[in-house]
Amino acid sequence: MIDEEKLEILTESAKYDVSCSSSGSRRANKNGGLGNGSAGGICHSFTPDGRCISLLKILMSNECIYDCEYCPNRRSADVRRARLTPDEICGLVINFYRRNYIEGLFLSSAVFESPDKTMELLTETVNKLRKVYNFNGYIHLKGIPHADGALVMKAAKLADRMSYNVELPSEKSLKLLAPQKTKNSLLLPMKGLKDAIEYDKANRVRKGNVLPAGQTTQMIIGASPESDGQILKLTEALYRNMNLKRVYYSSYVPVVKSAKLPDTGAGLLREHRLYQADWLIRYYGFDVSEICAEDENLSLDYDPKCAWALRNMHLFPVEINSAPLEMLLRVPGIGAKSAYRITEARKFSQLDFDNLAKMRIVLKRAKHFITCKGKFYGSDSFAQVKTSLLIAGAGEMDEQLSMFSNQSTALSALTGEI
Amino acid sequence: MKIFITDGSSDAFFTAVFYAFAERDCLITSDDKVQLSFDSEVVRIDPENDKCQRVINGIEKYDRLAEEEILLVLRSCDPLNEQTALEYIRKIMQTKAPVRKMLGLPEVIEFNDLLYKVRGETHRMKGFLRFMESRDGALYAPFSPDNDITDLLMAHFAERMKAERFVIHDVKRKIAGMYDGREWIMARVGEAEVYLSEYERAFENLWKKYYKAVNIESRPHIKQMKGYMPVRYWKFLPEKRD
Repeated sequence: MIDEEKLEILTESAKYDVSCSSSGSRRANKNGGLGNGSAGGICHSFTPDGRCISLLKILMSNECIYDCEYCPNRRSADVRRARLTPDEICGLVINFYRRNYIEGLFLSSAVFESPDKTMELLTETVNKLRKVYNFNGYIHLKGIPHADGALVMKAAKLADRMSYNVELPSEKSLKLLAPQKTKNSLLLPMKGLKDAIEYDKANRVRKGNVLPAGQTTQMIIGASPESDGQILKLTEALYRNMNLKRVYYSSYVPVVKSAKLPDTGAGLLREHRLYQADWLIRYYGFDVSEICAEDENLSLDYDPKCAWALRNMHLFPVEINSAPLEMLLRVPGIGAKSAYRITEARKFSQLDFDNLAKMRIVLKRAKHFITCKGKFYGSDSFAQVKTSLLIAGAGEMDEQLSMFSNQSTALSALTGEI
Repeated sequence: MKIFITDGSSDAFFTAVFYAFAERDCLITSDDKVQLSFDSEVVRIDPENDKCQRVINGIEKYDRLAEEEILLVLRSCDPLNEQTALEYIRKIMQTKAPVRKMLGLPEVIEFNDLLYKVRGETHRMKGFLRFMESRDGALYAPFSPDNDITDLLMAHFAERMKAERFVIHDVKRKIAGMYDGREWIMARVGEAEVYLSEYERAFENLWKKYYKAVNIESRPHIKQMKGYMPVRYWKFLPEKRD
């Protein structure tokens, strides 16, 4: 059994990675083994910072040959170091999984000895879990930049999801703060995996297909000067060109003192706004250009959908009983599930304001942008609308990480479903 | 008004629905302590196979998914769950079609709410259930869910942990599901005595250590933690118990 201190060191080092979702894989439990995938993902606990624990998120080692400015594990930092063997990790995963503490493993590592050596040991761990321990639970594996492509491909056949972190939203910042990570060392393997996933899909490979839960990435917000507009442009490009499942944003936390880094964190509200914009791009049919100009930041006062609606008041109000789904999705306060439920319910009877309230559709914001059977319940004064949206949004600081505004979507927040 | 009291089984419920269809105003409940008004007439219902089947066939004719939903709602801890299910069935029979998307109807909304709660708790418990290892290697998980969902969890864990032996014990309802590595059964179990394996405490401590280390202390958000993981579930979670 591994000792507590090692686990503590390697968890502390891994915890700033945001991703913990276990969704997207339906891996079956084969040959009387242990574990299976749950397509919607399952959260096993929640920590006092409000985040979910789904996976055992640890580093194999925090001994690093690199000296990245922002990283608490950089070579020159004076911190406790530890390393786990593949068998130690496997034993921990199996024992945690049997007790239903976790949904699987999220394995990452600092780069020790060489990128190839690190990737080799990560791959060996995953291989052991699958082949020796007969483990069919969820595995998210971090890709090591500059590692040999064949090793990466071998790992991709065993894991459910892989991720290469782009870390910083521009090449310039990457050069300044993480000089050993080049744009190509991140994007080329990402592209290789994307091609492999698409090949399997096109050829209907069902057994041992590459990364059933796809790829994600993460970038740090606020350690470098990029605007939200730039960040979202990059996000959009990653979704389009790399077919990523998720882009995670991690608001910069100053754990390291450096002349090249800001002294204060970026604040959670900015991170929250980026996630809201991200959702608008993926689920609400928005283009980045509608949400945020390239050199601008998102409004901190209004959520991005409200801000867009306030700029486009001429499109409102829309009639709940006849507006197309695409337009309902653009009404502030109406989420994707609510919009869909409205289009279903109105097939049977005309909906009035009361009906919407009973369907638990939050009307605090929406009422200024809709009519029900021709009746308008909002305010005619633009100034008043603006103020009431501000007040409606004021509670957001309390629930800033929740990303979801109404009860009916809370379950998907819970499952980390994407 | 007639009050149909069932034994809580789904067969008795569907039998009661059969009788309820002849009444304009009635109540179905499995709650013995129901408040009786002076003009109420109590009828005890035992399951009758043919009547039960006729009701199920009638529902299936108009909505093939409804039976499964009704069976879930019957597991709800809501004291009016049987009545809510009855009103929902009435709507289906009136409309002669599925009604689940007619969200203008209060009967449908109430039914959907209970359904959402039962499904929601089942999903949550797939995550929050905690097993401990006993001396002979079998796993034991006590819990106390709001709704009667133990057998739903059995199916999930039997698939997931095919080669293990385990028991899931609803200590409030005093029932347990038991899986022996091949198949699972449900049984009435009051109290269970479990001798823990010698490694159990050590793994529990590792897990607590992990839980503490993975938290980002500079970003407290207790309200959200409690929203997703209600306090009433904590007493079975090693990481929250003390």
